[in-house]
Amino acid sequence: MDKNFQEEFTQIIKFQPPLYKQRYQFVKDLVEKYKPKKVADLGCADCSLLWMLKFCSCIEVLAGLDICANVMKEKMHTLSPLPVDYLQPSERSLTVTLHHGSVAHKDPCMLGFDLVTCIELIEHLEESELKKFPEVVFGFMAPSIVVISTPNSEFNPLLPRVMLYRHPDHKFEWSQAQFQSWALETARCYNYSVEFTGVGHPPTGMEKVGFCTQIGVFVRKCPQTGESVQSEKPTEAVYKTVFKAVYPSLKDEKYLQNAVISEVVFTAQIIKHRLMSKRKEYGDDPERKPKSQPSMDYFPDHLGKLLVEKNMEPFVSGNEVYIPLTAIFSFPKVNRLCGTFEKLCKLIAGKVALSSDGSAVMLNIEHENEEN
Amino acid sequence: VGLQVSSGLQDMSLRDRGGRRRDFHDLGVNTRQAMVHVQESKTGFSGKVIKLSTNHFRLTSRPQWALYQYHVGYSPDMEARRLRSALLFQHEETIGKTHAFDGTVLFLPRKLDSKVTELFSRTRNGEDVKITVTLTNELPPTSPTCLQFYNIIFRRLLKMLNLQQIGRNYYNPSDPVSIPNHRLMVWLGFTSSILQYEENIMLCADVSHKVLRGETVLDTMHSLHSQVGEERFRDTCAKELIGLIVLTKYNNRTYRIDDIDWDNNPKGTFRKSDGSEMSFVEYYKKQYNIEISDWMQPVLISQMKRRRGNIQGSVALIPELCSLTGLTDKMRSDFNMMKDLAIHTRLPPEQRQRELGRLLNYIQRDDNVQKELRNWGLSFDYRSVSFTGRVVQGEKILQSGSMFDYNPQFADWTKETRGVPLIRAVPMDNWLLIYTRRNHDVANTLLQSLFKVTPSMGIHMNKPNMIEVDDRTEAYLRVLQQRITPETNIVVCILSSSRKDKYDAIKKYLCTDCPIPSQCVLARTLSKPQTIMTVATKIALQMNCKMGGELWSVEIPLKQVMIVGIDCYHDTVAGKQSIAGFVASLNQGMTRWFSRCVVQSRGQELVDGIKVCLQTALRNWSKWNRCLPSRIFVYRDGVGDGQLNTLVNYEVPQFLDCLKSIGTDYSPKLTVIVVKKRVGARFFAEVGGGLRNPPPGTVVDTVVTRPEWYDFFVVSQTVKNGCVAPTHYNVVYDTSLLKPDHVQRLTYKLCHMYYNWSGIIRVPAPCQYAHKLAFLVGQSIHREPNLMLSERLYYL
Repeated sequence: MDKNFQEEFTQIIKFQPPLYKQRYQFVKDLVEKYKPKKVADLGCADCSLLWMLKFCSCIEVLAGLDICANVMKEKMHTLSPLPVDYLQPSERSLTVTLHHGSVAHKDPCMLGFDLVTCIELIEHLEESELKKFPEVVFGFMAPSIVVISTPNSEFNPLLPRVMLYRHPDHKFEWSQAQFQSWALETARCYNYSVEFTGVGHPPTGMEKVGFCTQIGVFVRKCPQTGESVQSEKPTEAVYKTVFKAVYPSLKDEKYLQNAVISEVVFTAQIIKHRLMSKRKEYGDDPERKPKSQPSMDYFPDHLGKLLVEKNMEPFVSGNEVYIPLTAIFSFPKVNRLCGTFEKLCKLIAGKVALSSDGSAVMLNIEHENEEN
Repeated sequence: VGLQVSSGLQDMSLRDRGGRRRDFHDLGVNTRQAMVHVQESKTGFSGKVIKLSTNHFRLTSRPQWALYQYHVGYSPDMEARRLRSALLFQHEETIGKTHAFDGTVLFLPRKLDSKVTELFSRTRNGEDVKITVTLTNELPPTSPTCLQFYNIIFRRLLKMLNLQQIGRNYYNPSDPVSIPNHRLMVWLGFTSSILQYEENIMLCADVSHKVLRGETVLDTMHSLHSQVGEERFRDTCAKELIGLIVLTKYNNRTYRIDDIDWDNNPKGTFRKSDGSEMSFVEYYKKQYNIEISDWMQPVLISQMKRRRGNIQGSVALIPELCSLTGLTDKMRSDFNMMKDLAIHTRLPPEQRQRELGRLLNYIQRDDNVQKELRNWGLSFDYRSVSFTGRVVQGEKILQSGSMFDYNPQFADWTKETRGVPLIRAVPMDNWLLIYTRRNHDVANTLLQSLFKVTPSMGIHMNKPNMIEVDDRTEAYLRVLQQRITPETNIVVCILSSSRKDKYDAIKKYLCTDCPIPSQCVLARTLSKPQTIMTVATKIALQMNCKMGGELWSVEIPLKQVMIVGIDCYHDTVAGKQSIAGFVASLNQGMTRWFSRCVVQSRGQELVDGIKVCLQTALRNWSKWNRCLPSRIFVYRDGVGDGQLNTLVNYEVPQFLDCLKSIGTDYSPKLTVIVVKKRVGARFFAEVGGGLRNPPPGTVVDTVVTRPEWYDFFVVSQTVKNGCVAPTHYNVVYDTSLLKPDHVQRLTYKLCHMYYNWSGIIRVPAPCQYAHKLAFLVGQSIHREPNLMLSERLYYL
């Protein structure tokens, strides 16, 4: 539960980076490797692991669970979107939720996860809770991958200030053999494979005591379908949601539309700016037209339409500059945002001033600011 | 000056985000108690009564409600704050569910049974701990600590409403207004402060708009590069970006750009708090999973004023990861942009109150917020406060023996005084008109128009020396060097673009090396035939002032009085200087002003320079009036939030010292008034069931003023769009013994005396002159102008 607290006891053997950071890094590496979309951290405490994970671009759903609501609330605001997330909404969607509850209870909100992490959790569980834990995590939640870390008691003699356990709230600390037998039994029971590793290398010459923190990585053997799992489970909610944040994302039509409009108008301004400075080269006289656009202004509607179909040249008619949407669509940023030309048209419809046939963005010449 | 700063604030360790402890509300600076003549009353009496409503909301708390402050001690001592909290909160049945605790100081909304409460807890490793909770303070609702606490609680509420904190205020990110033409986004938000006002503690809430930019600093740099090219790129970046506030992609902090490090880039390394070196690229990848795509971009530098965690000194930021907020000077001067923005940000009175109503509605509707309020025994009156103000009588404009009234609705007398001779018209016998070949026609148009408008003003004008130059700065300067003679009255330059460097060079030369009044005119402003006469009239008036002319006056009943105006300009780009502009009246009609300014680099005290200014001002006043003034009024603008204490304790004594140094038998009456334009208060006139802006001349000196100050509000200007902002005047020192009504009237009169605007402005003219001077020096000249010019309004 109190991951950072523990490091005070391990100051003689100095881990660099600190052990808790190594554990988080381990999870991050795992996320990089498996690219899970939905990740839950059980026993998330002050949310620092969740905070690190929110920057992982593959994750779309993040959930935290802890038995203590106060410790979660302390720093949960760090999981909220930042102003910049609203200014530049990201491509991916992200929802972060915090639940108050016990790993000994099943709640449907924990279903469907790809990765469930239990970092330094199980040693805080009472015997009765530990008994229910495998059924809840492996049986009910049944994610593709489960990571469980716990202290390795064989390492404790190397930690001078540790009397019985590394943390006063620990209910037990296991040797490598104890952890591995529990893990293997659990894996066998719920049809997972498990591999053992750890962080915090022992000093040279003492390799046999093993890692300071032992870690089991469980991978589900046969991919189950979501529905079959849920149908047999009780679906009554027992956790209390203490926090929920939905990040602005371009997957949300509202944000996408804003982004597209902003980009389209901005791109149109750039094209117009180029056109106007090109015209300037031919002199200040607005009646004199660049040679490349012969007499187009005289039949704007008729010729304009023809030209849009044939090429993407912007043109001037009266007090307006027309910038064909095809030209705007050819800009990589606009292209990437919209995907298809039809989508572009749909998103800006009614929001950006267009020519009468809807093929070009219309900007007023007067709006041009004199450049210094 | 007998002043007290409450010691309660120093004890306050509960903080807002970022550990900021600055007292933005200048709580505990009690200046009124030293002024005997306003102990009883500080209200004026003249004028018509007007019914007003405001954006203040009464705070209603339980009778005799107070905050109880406890010290919490642990035996044996516990280090970790979280552990201390956990141990204490095991006793919620004793201390209650509502508490605020920072590890040492505990605030409770109710009193515990005994003064000292001993509690016993056991840690997880079985250690017994004795917790002693001792009452240290019973804070009445009006105590500064308690008020600061209210403010913190209220800000917590805004956070609970899912508003985003940017800088000091909270904004609603979910409903932004985007202005894609300029890549701007506007977030609607609220400013809030809870303070003790005249009779009640009130919440002053106002609608605030945050302008954000949908682009990163790197985007901006790219577009600057394409606009100005390689050669001017770095200079332009510095000018455009330094001083702006940025938000970062990875944390919820704002930073001010203080410098750009062109020699560094994201591959560069920095020393982490643990002593190890790491490159920016590596750091952002590791810490935030952010890939920096442009490895050639420079690095932004932000100086930290306060200690933030382990970081002290300066912070390096990557342009790609920073978003810009606010407007640059260039954007502000973009008329179209400001017009587009104004549609969204300039809310007329009724709409403004409606938006405010929405916030109060959120507060009222949200259960969690209501619960938090209830727990602390706080509640609000959701109807804004109504009261009465006074509209003082309009001033008569005096010009060459005639008297003019103006329409109070417009607060402008351009029409009324058109074609009337000026009080003092300075002839333009010998002057230069400099222009480029392209602007030859424009120059002639200007000249002809000036010949049409000047006779009725009484200005005698000869044909100027017309000089055509190349459109280069050096060409202008060469002409100035060659053609200016001791007889030259004024130089007029027609500029073809608003390129600042040319303007700066001309002004610098003519304000320092060769002190001659000058008038720069943009060719563009002269290009429209339908406005040319209006423009020429304005230019003629402005030139006349610059040469020492006088336009109009108002009746000033006080005799032997010198009015001083001071304002500051903080130059963010060049050498981080601060400039204080200082102007002082020279005559009875307040038509002539002496000016000086103080240029000082960072870290120096402003007051020393101001002392010298005051001394020379007195010398000049006595030269003009053959005696020393018996009354001195100082209107001090440019005092930031939270700086009042410094002003009162350091600056005012310096003024007094300076006066003492003039002579032992000289003891004039001194009044120091702090002028504040940026205040949260808004007033609305209730007219026929609707809300309107109050008319110019509206004075408010009750209900929403502060009991510990001798202060008042004046609405002097009018606005076309949006809500008019009242100006706050705080008389911090006053030995004049004048009635408050007279001080208010004098202040309002002085708002009529700014010669660059034939109307009423929002501050007394000396403040605006001081501002203009400081701005010119800070923006263009960067050192003190030649004293030969000091008795003219050359800085207009």
